[in-house]
Amino acid sequence: MIAFIARRLLSTIPTLFGVLVVTFLLLNVVPGDPVAEMVGERADSATIARLRAELRLDDPLPVQFGHYLWGVVRGDLGHSYITQRSVLGDLAERFPKTLQLAGAAMLLAASLGITLGVIAAVRPHGVVDRFSMLLAYVGVSFPVYWVGLLLILLFAVTLQWLPPSGYGGPEFLVLPALTLGTRSIAFLARMTRGAMLDVLSSDFVRTARAKGLSERLVIGRHAFRNALLPVITVLGLDVGNYLTGSILTETIFSWPGVGRYVLQAIEKRDLPAVQGSILFLSVVFVLVNLVTDLLYAKADPRVAYD
Amino acid sequence: MLFVCLLLACGGEAGTSLVYYETYDPRSLDPALSTDVPTGEMVTLLFDGLTQFDPNGRLVPGLADRWRAERGGQRYVFHLRPGVTFHDGRRLVAADVKASYLRVLDPATRGGRVWPLQPIAGVEGIEVLGDTAVAFTLTEPLAVFPKFLAMPVASIVPVPGGGGGAADFGQRPVGTGPWRFAAWRHDDELQFARNPDYWGGAPLAESLTVRIVPEPFTRGAEFLAGRLSVVEIPFGETAKWEAEHPDWLQRKPALRVIYVALNNRRGPLRDPRVRRAINHAVNVPEILRSVWNGRGIAARGAIPPALGGGDTTRVGYAYDTATARRLLAQAGYPNGFAIQLWRSGTNVELGRVAQAVQAQLAAVGIRAEVVARDASSMREAARNGQTDMALLDWWADYPDGDNFLYPLFHSASFGAGGNYSFYSDPVTDSLIMLARQTTDDAAREALYRRIDGRVYEAAPWLYLWFPVDLWAQHPSITGWEIPVIFNGQRWTTARRVTPK
Repeated sequence: MIAFIARRLLSTIPTLFGVLVVTFLLLNVVPGDPVAEMVGERADSATIARLRAELRLDDPLPVQFGHYLWGVVRGDLGHSYITQRSVLGDLAERFPKTLQLAGAAMLLAASLGITLGVIAAVRPHGVVDRFSMLLAYVGVSFPVYWVGLLLILLFAVTLQWLPPSGYGGPEFLVLPALTLGTRSIAFLARMTRGAMLDVLSSDFVRTARAKGLSERLVIGRHAFRNALLPVITVLGLDVGNYLTGSILTETIFSWPGVGRYVLQAIEKRDLPAVQGSILFLSVVFVLVNLVTDLLYAKADPRVAYD
Repeated sequence: MLFVCLLLACGGEAGTSLVYYETYDPRSLDPALSTDVPTGEMVTLLFDGLTQFDPNGRLVPGLADRWRAERGGQRYVFHLRPGVTFHDGRRLVAADVKASYLRVLDPATRGGRVWPLQPIAGVEGIEVLGDTAVAFTLTEPLAVFPKFLAMPVASIVPVPGGGGGAADFGQRPVGTGPWRFAAWRHDDELQFARNPDYWGGAPLAESLTVRIVPEPFTRGAEFLAGRLSVVEIPFGETAKWEAEHPDWLQRKPALRVIYVALNNRRGPLRDPRVRRAINHAVNVPEILRSVWNGRGIAARGAIPPALGGGDTTRVGYAYDTATARRLLAQAGYPNGFAIQLWRSGTNVELGRVAQAVQAQLAAVGIRAEVVARDASSMREAARNGQTDMALLDWWADYPDGDNFLYPLFHSASFGAGGNYSFYSDPVTDSLIMLARQTTDDAAREALYRRIDGRVYEAAPWLYLWFPVDLWAQHPSITGWEIPVIFNGQRWTTARRVTPK
């Protein structure tokens, strides 16, 4: 197991290097000038030229890249051109908030989605099944920002039960988590239902029922566990997506997470901030994938890593 | 109809704190880095300049209680207000002024927006006269120089002692302003506490919170939930707010102009007849009414009417497609031509304006292709002269006609300086320089009017309108008014009262 983890971590190094190269090249190809964003409106060309030179933006690309890479190797993601703050520090301030939102959304998605899916599968074509599948269909189809705006209108403006946006106690978490989680709830419900239906019609479930096990044990221990693999896959992918920032949800709900940070950095052509964020988020994504793989083995003894 | 919010319910989270907002996190709280509006507004709360603007854009004394121009406006002497202290208790002295300005001008600060201090003739141009006065010698006479010193970048900071580098000071600023820094959670909110010793009278409220709320819809909801003290109403929502909450609204003409820069050095736009034809072809009042809910004053020049030199009586380009076609034919384009109209993809309201302009130009045979790019790409293209027509707006940095002439039409301001139409006319250039040196306000404003009229005739822009700002003020708030200039509101007279 340890060897597997070590091997997997080592193999991410070329991936991350690739991410760095591609990001760097893309940022140099897109139009827009970081210095123009630093100086704002009404600038003079002498100041612009001086700043370009100071930031080494006029160096040949390989030199710039080498300089940046050297920093990354030493654990320095550089300083934002715009705020002059350390990129790593900025990410460290925002990532826990993204983690919090992603965690809440996933908790909601996993509990609601899986429950709905299991119930739907137990009584296929029953009332719960039809209802939950309709809900799932609607949830998958609605765009995130639209769901977010409707939730704000209903719960914050009309009913005044919850704050419309911002960061703070659990009451601030409900609406964004629901918005972010809606798609996952829907998707997980459909996924779970499908997987459960497959498993429930298999021989070992019939055997379990034949030997007189309670329906609760049949569903909970025998069927569900075997239906878990595809569900973990979906969960893993969603967690990866949520942790790397959910720009729309964070923007609508004024949530101070990494998604907005990256968006702002891109808008301002803040090269160190964009590069640093993408590298950081790639690492997060790789780690989440690794954990997902390890969970497979946990859920299904037939999957083994050595 | 969904916005049901009763007055009582809105008082929800009353408390004594005032709550304002910014659309994105300030760069820093260091005045040297204030190149954008959020940063400038926050710096204005914490710091003072030698001069400052009131909410109506009038120049008023700041840390200097009086000043005088000498040598025809080439030398200025500012006398410091006695007894001013920084938030850490240190007394303000004239040496702080010099140190603050040199710090901004120091390349190591990487400030970027140094132009308000560039008229000063180098280090030798700043003379500290004892503890209470400072004199500036400029490279040439500049009548509007005292207004430059009200810009956030010219705020006075305690140096040294601000502590460490710029990044550090920007996180824990110490100024002389009406509000002391309390806390800053990035992308979330900033908190300020009242400075009880403020020389201009301590703020009436105990504290001020500034939240970062990027989405306009959310800002509206936050305001209706009683969690913002004031909110700016987007142009597209004017009618709804006027119908539902007329009592809460305040309006004021902004020092801002919306226009389409016609690149005077590209293709058919080189010909002034073509540019005039474009001005005749577009029905500005109609677009203003239908797309912007009538929230603006049609522009017949670049200087907003609220400023000296602004002229609303000038004979404008009437909407007249026949004249437009005739001018196009005279210029050699009887069948029109194809052209690009750039707009920022991030600004929805300007996007609708671009579509309307496109449709009206089509009626006289000008086939405009709308090119939408993100703000940064568009700015780069416009600065490099790669756009034919670019839909833009210009906000005043300082409330003076000069701010709508020198950056926008002087040939020294080509591209990055603000002259995106690349309009060039030696007579205009010299008249602008003459105005800048004219210390008599009435004479200077007469010159502004003349310059603006001269430029208008050459039609380097498609002139659109001067927007009118519309804000809603929560019924629990008193003593606040819309600032015409971004750094004209210090929140000292605003406070919450218990709603009945």
